[in-house]
Amino acid sequence: MKCWNCETDTSGSPFCPTCGKIAERPAGTSHFAIFDLPLAYDVDVPALEKQFRELSLRLHPDRFAQAEAKERRLSLEQTTALNEAYKTLREPTRRAFYLLKMYGVDLEREDTGTQKDMPFEFLEEVLDLRESLEDAMAAKDLEQARKMATDVEARRKAALTEAVDMLRSLERSPSDEAAVKKASHALGRVRYFTRFLEQVEAFEEEALS
Amino acid sequence: MAYSDKVIDHYENPRNVGTLDKSDPNVGTGLVGAPACGDVMRLQLKITDEGVIEDAKFKTFGCGSAIASSSLVTEWVKGKTVDQAMTISNKDVARELALPPVKIHCSVLAEDAIKAAIDDFKKKRQARQEQA
Ligand SMILES: [Zn+2]
Repeated sequence: MKCWNCETDTSGSPFCPTCGKIAERPAGTSHFAIFDLPLAYDVDVPALEKQFRELSLRLHPDRFAQAEAKERRLSLEQTTALNEAYKTLREPTRRAFYLLKMYGVDLEREDTGTQKDMPFEFLEEVLDLRESLEDAMAAKDLEQARKMATDVEARRKAALTEAVDMLRSLERSPSDEAAVKKASHALGRVRYFTRFLEQVEAFEEEALS
Repeated sequence: MAYSDKVIDHYENPRNVGTLDKSDPNVGTGLVGAPACGDVMRLQLKITDEGVIEDAKFKTFGCGSAIASSSLVTEWVKGKTVDQAMTISNKDVARELALPPVKIHCSVLAEDAIKAAIDDFKKKRQARQEQA
């Protein structure tokens, strides 16, 4: 990408190395690229946080209040992109979902057909779990709900670990379709378990209020 | 977010909640989930040998729109032939319930559930014919 002001090659850096103006980013720049990180699961979070603070100070719209319109707009845009990238990368689960998307599986997609991807047996299990929770809620049995939550939380962690293992192995062999599928199923389980735990939490709040 | 009156009606008075016998050869079971939100929907259809849907039951764990979408399609499919039911699309459901764009996936789930249930019924029937 060339600098919009002086045409120097900014090559992915947030500011032009020659004139110091905020650099433009190509459309679809990944969250990893914003922090100049490789596409990999393992991220040094304290270092990421430090980088985030520095960059957000340097890009802060207040600093560009007197600048020309183009740079004011870039300051806003890059700050938004930076915040989004930081929010996604600092949190392991979000980071894993985002990486999976980089491998072509977007679990946020809502169009027809994509949902059927989870194994039938697993969906059956989720339905059973939700039915048991519904029974516990109807009986106002907080103990039972908590017991189920402890079990589901352990399974959620195990599923995330499995997904991370797959994502790490994909860094070595990015075109391993079977690993992508396994990562996608594991993260799918994470999502369903998370939903279950949210329901228990809501029930706890209601029961204790 | 405001739900439409039709969503509220189906949510408060869901039609056809329940289960049909999964092992009945004339019952097709569709089970679908939305990894975007972690909700699940089960739709069961009782289909005559002539291919007419005579009963429908659902169980959905999800938001009001997901429950309303499944409740609505159980009403719609009853009395229809399998081929007619296959033409029900998520757009019909979303339009009828006036779903906002963020809730379109609920109607998609309902469409997927119908197709999965019919698919299950057809597989069962084929397995039976191969045995005979
Ligand atoms: Zn420049």
